[in-house]
Amino acid sequence: MKVAEVIESSTRSFVAEVYNDNDAPAFGTWVRADGRDGRDIFGLISHVEVGSYDGNRQAVALGVSEEDRQREWPMVQELLRTTVHAQILAHRDRDGRVRQTLPAQPPGIHAFTYRCEEDIVRELGAPYDFLRTLITQPADNVPVDDLLVAVLRHIYTAHGGETGGRPELVRAGRTLSRLLDDDHERLQSVLRRIL
Amino acid sequence: MLDLRQLRDQLGRVPETQAGTRDLREKQRRRALRALQEVADEWQRVQARVQQTQPGHLVAALRSSPTMTAASSARPTPMTVVSTDGSQIYPDRHIEPTYFLLNIGRVAFQYGTTESPVLDAVPDLRFPSDLNDHFDEVLSTMTTEVVSALRDEQELAELLRLARETHVPGRPIVALADGTLIRWMLRGMQNRAVEEELIERYTGMLREFREEQFPIASYISMPGNTELVNLLRFHLDELEEEAPHPATVDEVNPGEVDEEEPPLAGLLDRHVFASVLARGERSAVFGSMSRIQRQYPEGNEICYFYLHVPVNDHESEIARVEIPAWVADDRPLVDLVHAVVMSECRKGEGYPLVLSEAHERAVIRAPERDAFQRLLGRTLRRAGLSSPHSQKRRSKQRPRV
Repeated sequence: MKVAEVIESSTRSFVAEVYNDNDAPAFGTWVRADGRDGRDIFGLISHVEVGSYDGNRQAVALGVSEEDRQREWPMVQELLRTTVHAQILAHRDRDGRVRQTLPAQPPGIHAFTYRCEEDIVRELGAPYDFLRTLITQPADNVPVDDLLVAVLRHIYTAHGGETGGRPELVRAGRTLSRLLDDDHERLQSVLRRIL
Repeated sequence: MLDLRQLRDQLGRVPETQAGTRDLREKQRRRALRALQEVADEWQRVQARVQQTQPGHLVAALRSSPTMTAASSARPTPMTVVSTDGSQIYPDRHIEPTYFLLNIGRVAFQYGTTESPVLDAVPDLRFPSDLNDHFDEVLSTMTTEVVSALRDEQELAELLRLARETHVPGRPIVALADGTLIRWMLRGMQNRAVEEELIERYTGMLREFREEQFPIASYISMPGNTELVNLLRFHLDELEEEAPHPATVDEVNPGEVDEEEPPLAGLLDRHVFASVLARGERSAVFGSMSRIQRQYPEGNEICYFYLHVPVNDHESEIARVEIPAWVADDRPLVDLVHAVVMSECRKGEGYPLVLSEAHERAVIRAPERDAFQRLLGRTLRRAGLSSPHSQKRRSKQRPRV
């Protein structure tokens, strides 16, 4: 299902405007954008933002309930929009294989963005090269550690959670541990927050 | 470049003048309130005398006691409120081809429901050749006035269209316009044919509002009208003696008048109503005796009332609300308009929310205007035509060091 549309784009990251605010992809989840050559580009949601459409207008406190706001301030919802930032970490190559590296071209402006199903989360698996990109070259202002917590949690869920998710989580955790080996405290802090 | 240092000296005079004006207004106001009470006591006789005398100044027509006030009732819910506001790019003789652009912001709210609002804007690009012969003649000399008049017309046309599109049978509706419904500015054109054509089209639309039974009202913030004050001056026999509008204390010669009882010239209706109306209250509905109104179809002559609009706990202002006579004659409709305007002003902190939303949609910001001009230039070049900007304009845009 289309959930958003690209409004800023580069080979490292893109920004997409969400169609329905209640449907915004969550922080740390994978999304897929249509690449210009028709091949999927995968990104991790690194930032979700709700704000005013109009740069000249700021939201102000109204002091009314949500129901009253909907009934008596009908323009408020129209003036707000949710945008998501995605850090690009993988794409599908000509043969249809998922490559954990940056695409040759960014998604086009107005390209549709979809939520990734769990099978794609599983496909974006070992040896978890995307974790290296994320840790060594995060896009601007990406909160890397919190994003790691979220992405590892999703790996756990996509592989069955309590019924089978643990081995894959351990595998991803090992990769993370190699990447962070000189920073034991940081690794512990990420792992503590996963489960 | 504005030299603020030079201006500072000139600003020095301002507080003194302001204080003098305030004292004068206070005395005028006290006198006006006494006169108002006298008029109220025999308002039918005063009105008859006005009809007889036909004073040269614009005088409020009394339809009831001028001291009448009414509190606001609660706005019904659900209800539809529609509004439009326009902006424009005026023709610029430094740009060819000459064009002007109207942009009408449209807002429709279905209050009390979760139905989607209408929030959009309709641009309308026009070239002088679109206008007929009458207009060609005036356009060469009175460009901004004609464009403003056409914008007002377009605002009303879109307001009518929007009311038709969004009206739900059985649900009350009010259409709120910005500014006056009386076509004063057309007088300034000094061109009978254009004036008549514009008034006819405008009043034709007002008639349609009536046929559809869509109550229409317009909102004027900080009104500068003096019709009621003129009536009081008429009552005090000082209407014909003074120059029509001495605006400040300097212009009233203190030697000739009783300083405690100054003539009312320069006082505005809103100064008087600030003392008559409690917060949220409206005044009596007055009729307008302007000549331009004689061209309005019967039942569509514009009437008005004043409204004491709270801005916050400490501040408030007196606004003027204009309505056609068929609305003014229907007490529940006047109550409805009053309730809607009050509810809108409460939300908009002293100015109707629906109007400021329409304005937001209508306004053409500088970057948008530049983008439009680039688009126009590109379109012309693509068609093999050049778009010669005058050198004067170019030098204004890019001053060199």
